[in-house]
Amino acid sequence: MLIGIDVGGTFTDGVLFNGRDIVKTIKRPTDNNNLQSVMLDVLDDLLEVVPDQKTVERIVLSTTLVTNLLATGQGKRTALILIPGYGLPHAAYHLSPDTFFLSGAIDFRGREIQPLSLNEIISLAEKLKKQGIKRAAVAGKFSNRNRSHEDQVAHILKNEYADLEVTLSCDISNRLNFPRRAATAYFTAMVSPEWQHFVDEVEKALQQKGLEAEVHILKADGGTLPLSSSRKYPCETIFSGPAASTMGALALTMDNQNSLVVDIGGTTSDLALLVEGLPLHASKGARLLGQYTHVDAVSVRSIAIGGDSPLAFVDGELRILSQRQGPAACFGGETATVTDAFNYRLSLNQGDIDRSREYLQKIADMAHLKLEDLCDRIINQVVTTLSEATREMFKEWENEPAYRVWEIVHRKHFTLDRVVGIGAAAYCIIPRVAETLEVQPFIHRYSDVANALGAAVARPTLSVYLHLDTERSLCAVEPGGIVEKRSDIGKYQLEDARQLAVNYLYEMGKVRGMDDYLEDYKVFLEEQFNMIRGWSRTGRLFDVGVQIAPGLIQAYQGVE
Amino acid sequence: MKPTGLLFFPAFDWAISPTHPEREERLLYTRDQLFEEGIMDLPGIKEYKPRLAEPIDIAAVHFAVPDLNAHLLEAHFVAAGSTLVIADAFMKGEIKNGFAIIRPPGHHAMSVSHGNRGFCNINNEAIMIEYLRYHYGVKKVAVIDTDVHHGDGTQEIYWDDPDVLYISFHQDGRTLYPGSGFIDEAGGPLAYGTTINVPLMPKTTDEGIHYVIDHLVLPLLEEFKPDLVVNSAGQDNHYTDPLADMQFTAQGYATLNHKLAPDIAVLEGGYSVETALPYINMGIIMAMAGLDFSNLREPDYARENFRESSRNLELIKKIVEVQLERYRSSQEEIEKNRRSKTEFFNEYRRIFYDTDYIHEEQKVRLRNCQHCCGFRMIESTAQQRSGKLYRVMCISIPINCCPSCRDQAISNYQDLIRFDRYDYVYLQDRIVRQYRVCQPDLEREEIIK
Repeated sequence: MLIGIDVGGTFTDGVLFNGRDIVKTIKRPTDNNNLQSVMLDVLDDLLEVVPDQKTVERIVLSTTLVTNLLATGQGKRTALILIPGYGLPHAAYHLSPDTFFLSGAIDFRGREIQPLSLNEIISLAEKLKKQGIKRAAVAGKFSNRNRSHEDQVAHILKNEYADLEVTLSCDISNRLNFPRRAATAYFTAMVSPEWQHFVDEVEKALQQKGLEAEVHILKADGGTLPLSSSRKYPCETIFSGPAASTMGALALTMDNQNSLVVDIGGTTSDLALLVEGLPLHASKGARLLGQYTHVDAVSVRSIAIGGDSPLAFVDGELRILSQRQGPAACFGGETATVTDAFNYRLSLNQGDIDRSREYLQKIADMAHLKLEDLCDRIINQVVTTLSEATREMFKEWENEPAYRVWEIVHRKHFTLDRVVGIGAAAYCIIPRVAETLEVQPFIHRYSDVANALGAAVARPTLSVYLHLDTERSLCAVEPGGIVEKRSDIGKYQLEDARQLAVNYLYEMGKVRGMDDYLEDYKVFLEEQFNMIRGWSRTGRLFDVGVQIAPGLIQAYQGVE
Repeated sequence: MKPTGLLFFPAFDWAISPTHPEREERLLYTRDQLFEEGIMDLPGIKEYKPRLAEPIDIAAVHFAVPDLNAHLLEAHFVAAGSTLVIADAFMKGEIKNGFAIIRPPGHHAMSVSHGNRGFCNINNEAIMIEYLRYHYGVKKVAVIDTDVHHGDGTQEIYWDDPDVLYISFHQDGRTLYPGSGFIDEAGGPLAYGTTINVPLMPKTTDEGIHYVIDHLVLPLLEEFKPDLVVNSAGQDNHYTDPLADMQFTAQGYATLNHKLAPDIAVLEGGYSVETALPYINMGIIMAMAGLDFSNLREPDYARENFRESSRNLELIKKIVEVQLERYRSSQEEIEKNRRSKTEFFNEYRRIFYDTDYIHEEQKVRLRNCQHCCGFRMIESTAQQRSGKLYRVMCISIPINCCPSCRDQAISNYQDLIRFDRYDYVYLQDRIVRQYRVCQPDLEREEIIK
């Protein structure tokens, strides 16, 4: 049996899945002050129908904990220590109110071009001690090519100030983009203790319940990560909600088509794309508190219109408001909503359609409109907003920068196959959106718990980036912050570099319990450059990326 | 505030040959530097994706012999198309200025193209300028060529065009390819003074180059009043460039772009792939985006290594004085040429293609006109790399051409295609954007789309 629980902003959803059946679904309001307890309550509810705890093989949790901590400013005070060297002005980095700069510089090949200053670091330790700052993130430009400065800074700081918790950016990410690495390390440091606490609590609770299932956390990229491995990478868990619904859409459709996934919530709708059955990722990584990060995330566009968005006539204008006032009139609410407009006009017979008409009529009277015209205007606005956002998403994807002739000549073009509706209001709204986009709608009877189902059946993912510089015998690998000298790569060809990346993937995948998926790896990045000095080759540079891409676990064969 | 547009196209899958300076590796470290700095994430920067230029965009500038497909690779269409993407974004008001960091480069490519010279096949800036003139009605353009090599291609294309001011400073042609760009090269008889060359002695530093910017380039821009300023942004004046011998720095380049404030900059040469390009490209982007670039420098930069000699500075001052005077008295020279009884001005020249080892001979005729800057007829003969000898006639009607010149140019074309004196006869009519290619012996005519 499989369990998926998605802790969302408004509701916490859970499903219990067995064979090809959804055995039980649960929906409870989320208590943002106590995310764990609701999550564990939902788990208890699901377990009620499980005769033997041992039959639960897998539990996947998707939680807004980290997103919430950061969004509400509950992350702990953290110093951001930057070693930016030359380039952009220091003023370009305004991430933390406690940002400190150290001298020292590394270049793109990992060569030191300016040493650290011991005195600066010692006096920084004094300053942090005096100010009572207990956490710090250290990020150096090109630390992904040479981590010695970050290591030395951590070492000296810990020597001077033993209580300081230090997070290094090269341990969190090894990819190019220093501000994103700094931001990711900073946010990681801010939420790390709370996340450790959360993992402890969950582990304890599961043990008490006698569960022996493997436990995973859903990541922003639509893949899972074993709970224990998540300790090091709490930021990977952000924005797992949209990832859950996108994986849910994949779980319900189970094919390689191009789908638009529209998750219609109370007052917002999230749009995502499945490109040939794979969730499309944001090209610049997840954006947290306005900062780009190195967290791979499903590309999501949010629209401020949902099923419960109330309709109003204000200042002589017909408007769709953004503040939820309760459910749709047809479901017992006291205001006409977007759902009501679709319900009445398209005779969908959702809930009490007479209540839809009654509440819509009040607004129509105020606006001096015929009831049908009122509904048409609302429907039109919703459909136009959603379809325009969709077209923008396609365009953005098609216009992502490319750096090779081949990619420009073979332009990518997105052809949509269908629209998948997720969420309770999908049934009302999605068919018309699909009609406008001239494709088929897809709505499943389990659409409203697709997020929890998506979490339950999402498989683990892992991306390994390898950078080799044969002239400098440099080998850098993400994840894990490996930046080391390797004397054996001097004669490497691209095949050797690829094999090395795959070896790392296997090694790390096994630790994460991913044995079943390793053979399914894909190479997503492969670059080779000859280094020519004078007129002869002095070395080669390789960049290779291999991954276990998002997908569904093998045990899942679809839902009846 | 509008962002600065950035189009980064390193053509990681194109090289002239594996060990050539124009190889895949050229912008690799620039990529590393730009990506690591995260400059594309800044709100003041908007990144664009390249597109392919259309054959018609290229035919607006070039007579490719025998045709566009003969020497051009897809990479050339992408590089040229990239400048058009930036041009569109600029004209549509999406960006305040734009920088196309692209390869292959273009400023040595002349109107007639038999192959590759100075690493260039087609002239990216000229293709962009003609596109802007036709589609957006841009009239006066200034091109400031900041590459260490004289941009003889761009100079030749606009030699007879008084609406394009071409200013180039470069290492003296007696010491560097292409061996041209001397102070007396100042434009054709009807466009005298809108070509300005400043040859500089090897080892010239930031101080010398900035003297030229402050005392010649900026005053000329002030007087010429262009609708658009283009920086033909080569990066090989740098003190570490392996092919040239100047002493310009990344700070020098950034400051130059800050002062010049180009609307559009397009990368040209620059072959110090590790020690110069990453820093200069950062500097140009920062300057164009209005970011503080005082924290930018090369790892080995030491200020005391860069002192301008007083002797060189005196020489530069003299050149600047001469060129200012030339520009200011150029109208008289043009009037004098117009009044001459000459119906056609004739010029003979030989052009050497260093990359492809071709010797081209040209006879150029320019019609003397009282109302416009005339039209050009270029008779070109060259034995191309394939061994085939081509003799072609290229007729060019510029966009600012008068009706009488245009009529005569068209009638000349029609006369010429009746005889098989030439292998190919080309008619480039920029006014209606129509480009014809005729093979008289086969009685075959094609209009380039």
